[in-house]
Amino acid sequence: MTLDLLTTHYNYYAVALLLGIGLYTVIESPNLVKKVIGMNVFQTGIFLFFITLAFRNGGNPPVITEGAGPYVSPLPHVLILTAIVVGVSLTAVALALVVRVYSEYGTLDEDTLEQLYHD
Amino acid sequence: MTDVASLRPLFAVLVSAVAIPIILSLRSRPNVREGVTLAVAATKFGLVASMVPGVLAGTTYVTRIGEFGNGISLALRADPLGILFALLASLLWIVTSFYSIGYMRGLSEHAQTRYFASFAASLACAVGVAFGANLVTLFVFYELLTVSTYPLVTHDETDEARAAGRKYLTYTFGGGVAVLGGTALVYVLTGTTAFTPGGIEALATADPTLARAAFALLAGGFGVKAALMPVHSWLPDAMVAPTPVSGLLHAVAVVKSGIFGIARVVLDVFGTETMAELGVALPLAAVAAITLLTASVIALRQDNLKRRLAYSTISQLSYIVLGLALLEGDALIGGLLHIPAHAFMKLTLFFCAGAIHVETHTDDISDMAGIGDRMPLTMAAFAVAAAGMAGIPLVAGFVSKWYIVIGALQGGGLVFAAALLISGVLNIAYFWPVVYQAYFESPEGHDEKPLLSAPLGGRSGPRADGGGETEAYGDASAAETHDDAHGAETHEDGHDVESRDDGHRGHHGGPPASGWDVRGWRGAESTWFMLGPILTAASLSVLLGVVPRTAVFLRIVETVVGSLPGVVV
Amino acid sequence: MIEHLIVLLVVLPILGAAVPPLASLRYDRVGWAVATATTLGHAAFAAALAWTVWTDGTVRYAVGGFAAPYGIELVADGLTILLVALVSAVSLGVLAYARHAGPHANTFYSQFLLLVAGLSGMTVTGDVFNLYVFLEITGLAAYGLVASGPGARSAVAALKYLVIGTIGASLYLLGVGYALAATGTLNMADLSVKLAEVGYDSTLVLTAFGLIVAGLTVKVALFPLHTWQPDAYADSLDSVSAFISALVSTVSAYALARVLFSVFTVDFLEAVPTARWALVGVACVSIVAGSGLAVAQSDVRRMLAYSSVSQFGLVIAGFAIATPLAVVGATVHLVGHAVMKGGLFAVTGIIERRTGATTVGGYAGMGGRVPVAAGVFTLLALAMVGVPPAIGFVGKWYIVLGAVDAGVWPVVVVLLASTLLTLAYFARLGERLYFAEPTITSGSTAATDGGESVSTGMIVTVVVAAVLAVALTAAVPVIDQLIDQTVFELIRQ
Repeated sequence: MTLDLLTTHYNYYAVALLLGIGLYTVIESPNLVKKVIGMNVFQTGIFLFFITLAFRNGGNPPVITEGAGPYVSPLPHVLILTAIVVGVSLTAVALALVVRVYSEYGTLDEDTLEQLYHD
Repeated sequence: MTDVASLRPLFAVLVSAVAIPIILSLRSRPNVREGVTLAVAATKFGLVASMVPGVLAGTTYVTRIGEFGNGISLALRADPLGILFALLASLLWIVTSFYSIGYMRGLSEHAQTRYFASFAASLACAVGVAFGANLVTLFVFYELLTVSTYPLVTHDETDEARAAGRKYLTYTFGGGVAVLGGTALVYVLTGTTAFTPGGIEALATADPTLARAAFALLAGGFGVKAALMPVHSWLPDAMVAPTPVSGLLHAVAVVKSGIFGIARVVLDVFGTETMAELGVALPLAAVAAITLLTASVIALRQDNLKRRLAYSTISQLSYIVLGLALLEGDALIGGLLHIPAHAFMKLTLFFCAGAIHVETHTDDISDMAGIGDRMPLTMAAFAVAAAGMAGIPLVAGFVSKWYIVIGALQGGGLVFAAALLISGVLNIAYFWPVVYQAYFESPEGHDEKPLLSAPLGGRSGPRADGGGETEAYGDASAAETHDDAHGAETHEDGHDVESRDDGHRGHHGGPPASGWDVRGWRGAESTWFMLGPILTAASLSVLLGVVPRTAVFLRIVETVVGSLPGVVV
Repeated sequence: MIEHLIVLLVVLPILGAAVPPLASLRYDRVGWAVATATTLGHAAFAAALAWTVWTDGTVRYAVGGFAAPYGIELVADGLTILLVALVSAVSLGVLAYARHAGPHANTFYSQFLLLVAGLSGMTVTGDVFNLYVFLEITGLAAYGLVASGPGARSAVAALKYLVIGTIGASLYLLGVGYALAATGTLNMADLSVKLAEVGYDSTLVLTAFGLIVAGLTVKVALFPLHTWQPDAYADSLDSVSAFISALVSTVSAYALARVLFSVFTVDFLEAVPTARWALVGVACVSIVAGSGLAVAQSDVRRMLAYSSVSQFGLVIAGFAIATPLAVVGATVHLVGHAVMKGGLFAVTGIIERRTGATTVGGYAGMGGRVPVAAGVFTLLALAMVGVPPAIGFVGKWYIVLGAVDAGVWPVVVVLLASTLLTLAYFARLGERLYFAEPTITSGSTAATDGGESVSTGMIVTVVVAAVLAVALTAAVPVIDQLIDQTVFELIRQ
């Protein structure tokens, strides 16, 4: 039973793992760049969740031709294309901010920044 | 009872609200500014007074302002109970305005513009409280009253004043929150919050536990401003405010708005019958009785005159609450009549305290021996008002207390009647020494005040400093100059109780080195800006004591109580 | 034209946002003019849409002609147009403030218009994935605006905001994924039917609810997910903090309400009491903790930020209780809070420019130095405390009525106590403004800021906010009726 779940639902374990790693990095790492990376990993987990959600055994690509069904659901792919675009722009903005912080303070360490504030 | 749509209640509220920006803009022209205050006060009184005959004839003036939605309207309604409070507040505002001018200028106080503007705002709110047609409208003005009186309490801008202001806000907003909760409960239980003589009917059939909770919240919330124990302690602290504020607001407008709220809850929200059914009247009466006795006892031991008056106020306010809680026709009349009666008398007393402060910078009773020479008229007015407080005939307090006691006896509340009588004796005990030593003693020769100076329980005899506390020595030097003034009559251990107090407070009260001047009885003791209001207020209390019906207030009260179903007068 | 109004609300600001960067090639400071013209157009569309909804009821629009549930649907009901009108009004107010206060860069106004577009999109959309996209557009614009402050400190605040905000939005997206897996649809109206068919006890549905609510709660900044907010509000420019404090959390709270009523519906809340009371519980904790943190702040703008945490607790509590009275109350408080908090942030900007005061201690004695600003601050603070007849009172009153009606006594106690908690942090400012000796003397004025001046437009903006804080009370019956007419079927009991 357990083995069965493991083999049929392994995609969800991957998703959970990615989400966990991402969230952990965001919370735990004091390095701002690593936080951004963690954020990306977290989002990737969600993308994977949607894409694998669309899959069905024996499904064909959703290009309608005579007698080709069943198809995999095209909707999540479309959604995730949008979400990836959003993710890329977010990462771009985040990295721009990181560059600005580094040029001003010369550090990317959150704790050091905190200390700089208090001095 | 007929309802007439009229803008007069609205104008009565607005007239002083409109005056606020005018007063604020006249910062640099104090004479015009005070002129505006007086004109507005007179207009306000005129507007309120013009509704009195109609109200006595059974007309109710109603102004609908707007709606909160859900059937709760923002409306003003001049009914007999409202007109009682509004008439009182607006009448005494005129008197107090004159007095304020004398007081504020006599002391060259700062921020007088803010003072007069806040005063006008407070009065607008007080009349709004009086005319609020439902609990929500009343609450609106009740909260605004808190806000507009805060600058007056904190007027001094000292740490003490700020602390008092904080306490004031915390207590009164806390009460406000309880009122809001109670109002919400009443609305949910009955679908209305409109005041109905005899009570909202649906409350009688509502879930009794929730109805009791609503009553507890409302009475408790209003009880904060009415200074019921144990939520009274903001009032003595608020005495740090200028005396006219203590006089008009902390003896009339603010505290009475709390009392008035309780009256509305008892008469027009729950109604006497529902109250009796729910069994909530007795606890309220008990709280009132305990408060009036305890506060009287505490008052005995206050040396600062204003603080003594504050505790006296706490005690007297509970007379009113007790009168209301007894639910008997006569007790209701007495309780409601005590609203104006106490107002006139306590205003007189506060004005006297203020006049003494302005003229001699004396705040403590123990410094006032022989002050009758210096301020004969003031102290005479004080004596009259004090007699009234104690319930001596021919002064206003007698009439109202008479009704309450009769009501208490009729309702079988022997305990409450006894509490009232004991408190009357205590009243004499704390006022008589002030009057006695003013006229019949001199700074050089006056008795000990054991109640004031001895520790509780009388452990170490009549002297506070007899215990040999080390701090007493420090005080001795601080008070040395003062002692010299006492001349030959030095006490055996070199300094007396009074001067000890002086050393603590560091003010320069008390008689001058040569003893009090003798100023005679023709008004040389102070300005007529202060003497006039003092004598007016004293005369009003006598007038209400001698001809209560002609003085209109008893007639209004009888109209109020007469219109209640199920109450036999 | 008239039937495209609803989509124009989003399209117009996006088009407007493209203009300033292009114009930068030739002109330096056209951003403000473009933004103002666009926002005025937006306001006109909003007014026309409001009129349509008021007369004809709920408006539905299929984007690109693809019919729901397959296409993206835009929906405007009474709640929507209130929020759209709020977005328009606040944007205009902020523009009036920013004309002098700056910043003047063209790109700033691009971001400004993108934010308006994102917020409008969030309010009108009837599709949960579309909501995610607008959530992110709003977020991106807001991060950029926060970072537009001087110094890198605002960049740090923006980065923090970005990371936490993105996690929140991603959680929302994940929740949408669960809902999609359960029902196969993304249309809100369709979802509400299909979720019921799947069954409210289904793990998929419950997980979707938890993730969506958690994600939006981050955006609303309820305790303990508020940590991005104080920095973002306190370290950004005054124009920006007034703008985002008034709108971003507000529209997110609206989105949460939309999800509660249009997607999951009151039936879900009835069927899964744990979900409802968990949300109410978080809201109540937020009220208390936000106030506590606000009291502990010495920086006025941080204090106001924590105040938002507390006030949104009230709003969300109202929505989660979900009786008609409570929903009206939450809506009134949502709109009222936006006006009050935006005004408060703007007025702190004025006081800082005039006197250099930014801390609670620094505000001492400023009542005499900047009488109008101090007066506005005091009035808005009193309105926020809930002194009647200001709007802050009315919202609270309705929420309390709703809670009493629902018989949830602990919540009633917290709601009532919130008045005192709010008083706790505002009273000390009022006291210092008027009844204390100044700690900042005029000599040292604003040397730090180069003595920036204050324009009439800025003063007028905050005075209008103060007037609205009281005058909106008169509009409450209208709001009541709007909710009653168009949202009532969603919150029937």
